[in-house]
Amino acid sequence: MAFIELRDIEKSFGKNQVVKRLSLDVGKGEFVSFLGGSGCGKTTTLRMIAGFETPSAGSVKVDGRDMSGIAPNKRNLGMVFQNYALFPNMTVRRNIGFGLRIAGAKGAEVESRVDEMLGLIHMEEFAHRYPHQLSGGQQQRVALARAIAVRPSALLLDEPLSALDAKIRVKLRDDIRAIQQRLGITTIYVTHDQEEALSISDRVAVMREGRIEQIGSPFEVYNRPATPYVASFIGTLNLLSGAVADPSKGTLLVAGRELRSSGPIEAPAGAEVKLSLRPESLSIGAGQAGHNRIEGRIESVKFLGSVVRVVVETGGQRVFMDTFNDPSAPPPPVGSSVELSFPPEALKAGAAEAASEPERAAAAEEG
Amino acid sequence: MKRKTGLSWLWLLLGIAYFFIPLAATFLFSLRGKKGVFSFVAYANVFADPLFLKTFGFSLRMAILTVAAGLALIVPTTIWLHLKVPKARPVVEIFTLLPFVIPPIILAYGLIRLYAKPPIALVQSPVLLVAGYVIISFPYIYRSVDAGLRAMDLRGLTEAAQSLGAGWLALMLRVVLPNLRTALLSATFLTLAIVIGELTLANLLAWPAFGPYMAQMGRNRAYEPAALSIISFGLTWGAIGLIQALTRSGRDKASGIGAGAH
Ligand SMILES: Nc1ncnc2c1ncn2[C@@H]1O[C@H](COP(=O)(O)OP(=O)(O)OP(=O)(O)O)[C@@H](O)[C@H]1O
Ligand SMILES: [Mg+2]
Repeated sequence: MAFIELRDIEKSFGKNQVVKRLSLDVGKGEFVSFLGGSGCGKTTTLRMIAGFETPSAGSVKVDGRDMSGIAPNKRNLGMVFQNYALFPNMTVRRNIGFGLRIAGAKGAEVESRVDEMLGLIHMEEFAHRYPHQLSGGQQQRVALARAIAVRPSALLLDEPLSALDAKIRVKLRDDIRAIQQRLGITTIYVTHDQEEALSISDRVAVMREGRIEQIGSPFEVYNRPATPYVASFIGTLNLLSGAVADPSKGTLLVAGRELRSSGPIEAPAGAEVKLSLRPESLSIGAGQAGHNRIEGRIESVKFLGSVVRVVVETGGQRVFMDTFNDPSAPPPPVGSSVELSFPPEALKAGAAEAASEPERAAAAEEG
Repeated sequence: MKRKTGLSWLWLLLGIAYFFIPLAATFLFSLRGKKGVFSFVAYANVFADPLFLKTFGFSLRMAILTVAAGLALIVPTTIWLHLKVPKARPVVEIFTLLPFVIPPIILAYGLIRLYAKPPIALVQSPVLLVAGYVIISFPYIYRSVDAGLRAMDLRGLTEAAQSLGAGWLALMLRVVLPNLRTALLSATFLTLAIVIGELTLANLLAWPAFGPYMAQMGRNRAYEPAALSIISFGLTWGAIGLIQALTRSGRDKASGIGAGAH
């Protein structure tokens, strides 16, 4: 049975419906991320679970208990905020002990639990500092410790890392995941950073305009996106256009070459369709027998560290290709002609109404 | 660079002179109670006057009541405003200007007309005076508290405290008020200073307050009013110094421990 259960919840602010019949089951001990663009309703959904917003319709259950009408301070849900929200008038120690004191725990009991929490976040030596004497990353660790000190039934985090710089973000997200797994605490994590969501979640719920577009393991949502939006939102995606050659065989004409796609196409022969192709499915050279091949000219080469991104122009369209860095084989020079190949399964037809162009471009840039 | 600092020093000195020359002149004048020599005779006269202590004591009591009533009324209201109806803040801000726009004399006449006869006859009671003072100090208290709340992410702290199980009382006592400390102190001392020196309301409602006493003194004596000015100046600055000291001690406690280990 699901530990957190959202049933057809909706939320409107005036005429603006921001969450639409959203249902979700989160298992006990599971780590689920809400991933989606700005304004898609992630925070609102989380706040309805926490009790800071009241759903316009639908129900929220935690551990079998219907949460409607229960005040936020009676829900026993830990919450971590983007801006830390530590109490500035209290030391780290008192911040972490706050919830325990509210719950009526006695001195020694509070202190030992606080010590345990300080150990968990490796901040024993900062116990007597005030929040303004800590870095952002340290503050967020304290906020995390404060939230789990009271042994909440679940942990809710709203973009906890987005105010931090890249390096600390990566470190801290791994810490959060490690702590979550160690304690086995059910967690919902809101982020708009796909890499973050994919790297630490058991399941990712991709949200769009107040709905969950797809929910699945990181592997699933990345490799088997249920909708064009998910496909383009997660990871970098090449969007190409081609003309259908044979719908039943799934063949198309792109830049004068016949290519095979993953399966039959639901469009008549000759129709113009959008195609999607992950950059990492492409490789330089003729590839194996049966692979699709395209030819083009290298427009630019971006060195991203372990990955090298090659932009190839083919028949008026641009194709991103990602390949692992190989110290013994530098990428071909800009301007030279190359042949690229990819397996037919990698080419998906029918991504016509995918995410808007800017989103795709942004996703491609971030890579 | 050098010329710039020189220039700013010049302005600073001009500013200091602007404020302190009249003060120094008043002070020197206040020392001339005895012919030919500097003396504190005027001060001695002021302190010897039983009316001084009596009126000052009365005004101080009124001021303390005003602070209590004003804070009790305005602090929760302002917090509620911030949390529940932040959109109404500009409107309230306009309301806070009213005591500046409407002269105290109109306030006083309004209060007298309204409360002189039954059903609510209050003119004989200091309650009316304190009520008037609360109105006069409303802008100062509201603005201090408003600034204090804006400086502290009230919404975030509220939600954090609630998610940790805190109810409204715990939230107020353990989170909001401690973080409003500086704001409350400055509201308190501003109100004290304003009420202790207030003239119009006390005069029209006929209370033996410090403001009317000072005015009276100014009409009848030569050196004592100057001494009185210096005394009340000292009291005001003493109060401001106290705010500084109290808030500083709070902050020192905050930054003293573990500092330097960044
Ligand atoms: N209190 C509110 N009153 C009116 N509209 C609101 C309120 N809170 C949120 N909204 C609107 O609801 C929509 C969803 O907001 P929400 O904060 O849930 O988005 P989000 O997915 O968390 O986005 P972001 O990634 O930018 O944080 C937005 O269009 C927002 O303007
Ligand atoms: Mg949000």
